[in-house]
Amino acid sequence: MTDGEKINIVLAGQGNTGKSAVFNYLTGLHQHIGNWAGKTIEKCEGSLYYKGCNIDVLDLPGIYSLTTISVEEIISREYIIHHKPDCVINIVDSTNLERNLIFTIQLLELECPVILALNMIDLAKKKGIKINYQKLQSLIDVPVIPTIASRGSGLTKIVDKALELKTGKKDHGILKYGKEIENCIAQLSDILKDINLPYPQRWIAIKLLEKDKDITKLVGEKKPEILEKVKQLCRNLEEIHGHDSSVVIADERSHFAAQITSETEEITPHRKISLSDWLDAITTHKFIGYIVMILILGGMFFTVFSFGNWFSTCLEKIFKDWHNWWNINVGITFLASLGWSAIESVLALVQIALPYILPFYIILYILEDWGYIARISFLTDRLMHKMGIHGKGCIPFIIGFGCNVPGCLACRIMESKRERFITAVLVTLIPCSAVSVIIFGLVGKYVGILWAFGLYLFAMIIVFIVGKISSKLLLGEPVELIMPMPDYKTPDIKTIIYQTWDALKEFIFIAAPIVIISGVVIQAINLAGWMPFISSFLNPVTVKWLGLPAITGILLIFGILRKELILVMLAAFLGTSNIADALTSQQMITLAVVSMFYVPCVATISVFWKEYGWKKAMTICILETVGAIILAGVIKRILDFVF
Amino acid sequence: MSLTDIKDGQSGIIVSINGGKTLIKRLADLGLSTGTEIKIIGRTLFSGPLQIEVCGSRLVIGSGLASKIIVKLK
Repeated sequence: MTDGEKINIVLAGQGNTGKSAVFNYLTGLHQHIGNWAGKTIEKCEGSLYYKGCNIDVLDLPGIYSLTTISVEEIISREYIIHHKPDCVINIVDSTNLERNLIFTIQLLELECPVILALNMIDLAKKKGIKINYQKLQSLIDVPVIPTIASRGSGLTKIVDKALELKTGKKDHGILKYGKEIENCIAQLSDILKDINLPYPQRWIAIKLLEKDKDITKLVGEKKPEILEKVKQLCRNLEEIHGHDSSVVIADERSHFAAQITSETEEITPHRKISLSDWLDAITTHKFIGYIVMILILGGMFFTVFSFGNWFSTCLEKIFKDWHNWWNINVGITFLASLGWSAIESVLALVQIALPYILPFYIILYILEDWGYIARISFLTDRLMHKMGIHGKGCIPFIIGFGCNVPGCLACRIMESKRERFITAVLVTLIPCSAVSVIIFGLVGKYVGILWAFGLYLFAMIIVFIVGKISSKLLLGEPVELIMPMPDYKTPDIKTIIYQTWDALKEFIFIAAPIVIISGVVIQAINLAGWMPFISSFLNPVTVKWLGLPAITGILLIFGILRKELILVMLAAFLGTSNIADALTSQQMITLAVVSMFYVPCVATISVFWKEYGWKKAMTICILETVGAIILAGVIKRILDFVF
Repeated sequence: MSLTDIKDGQSGIIVSINGGKTLIKRLADLGLSTGTEIKIIGRTLFSGPLQIEVCGSRLVIGSGLASKIIVKLK
């Protein structure tokens, strides 16, 4: 190896096998990790310098098969074929060897240099699974290395092996199908010899027999006469086996994986029921499961609220005298007052938003890392079907409680376009942590915790109704749920701290500047005496229809940038914490309802735009804004009777 | 009988799958093909999804899909 040489390696494997954990360990980056299949939705690049070599590492989204079904699978397959990485590291979940090997077999058919990482070997041991990896190595003829990605164990060995492989590439070609299929492959390979495509011949032949649409089209463009031959061969296969040729091949592949597994794996079932089994049984139980779910989610919101309230009050005491100090030491000039509003805005952000956002993310990441989110999908599948989507839709919802942006992106785990869109629309209605700041910091704190919970329940009802309507409007068959159920694992504290820090970092570095600028602008408008003019423009909606103070008009406009701005700016403008004097309970609830449902924040709109086009994004913005205003007005009138 | 007819804790072997080839392939990639043994671990109320064990790994499968998988009791 000469100094400064560059090699590139790709991490590939099924969902939830620990690819991102390997990636993070190797590159020192903090790619999001969670215990559910499909969280890596875009390929992710990083690099490391090792033994005088620049190594580029690419993390591919988790896939189940290299036959094109979903977009991510095409991305992965095309990347491996066109970029010809020096080495593909196939991350395999040792506790699910057989299922993972089905993918490995397909990867080997692409004839790229592969290293197999038997990941989570520690969990396998715990489950009583013993894998003879030397034997596995000789059976599939690629290097096999046991690893524990979360602790980094075995990972340097992989990189060493990758450097070694680079010097001498080799073909594997020992994965043989049944006689009839091999015969077809041989016949096809023969006539495929002079076809000029970037794929290996044997692989093209297999894909043609599997009736892969993309490959059939490509071959058809070059040599249409081959397709006739393929049809004839497929018919022969179908006559012999009584199934579609693609099914015959898929079947043989999975039987092959089963055979390798049975030869290399030894399972000594535990007599003792482990804690994780017990927890699993309870959390997925037909009755108790639902009760536990309500307790966990309710407990989560309650903790966020109590901790947030306590922390917020502490901070309030600390910041109490700062304004006086400023007035005495800096003075009460025009500039000083603008300066104070910048400081006040940041203080308000720290005092009002941070106390709720911090515990929220910690708990969310604990649940995610533990593996509970997949259980929620399982339990709520039936309910989700009523909205025209299936249980997996729950995952974007729960992510959306943290932030709608990753929530919208997580919709990519839904299989069909229709479901992706419905789920994404519903995610924009989920109260994100910013909206939770308003719900807890305004309604929860001043009106009562039950009202805050009521608002969450109300949001869920609205999501359900909108889901029901959109599933009726957007015609199409709902896809059925099928997903791997991850085992529970002990949440890794380091991962949770990193991920919470990432979320907070964004909050600090993106929210703070926006808050400062907005605070100064609002104060400047106020000092210039323009406030009544702007407010009067929005008065018919804010004051007449919603019964809110005139100032809220401008706050709602700024709230499009980030929703917590509505409360933060309100506090900054009124002087922190005089909110209870300025707003009645009824006004607080009305304001919270508008904030929850009106136009999604800028970041969410832009992601929605990117994923579904500007027409859909704008339609959603307009519909949601109009809907929210009408709804909040109606609520206000109902509340007239209550208060 | 279909997979939904099996009781919790019992096992069956897949005899056939009533569905298009996309579905059959999707299932095969997850390790479900004819001859595979499936154990039912549990299910939710109101004919919700089933939790199954296939070749040592756990899957959640919607009941609509499960009813398309024809099995014989083991």
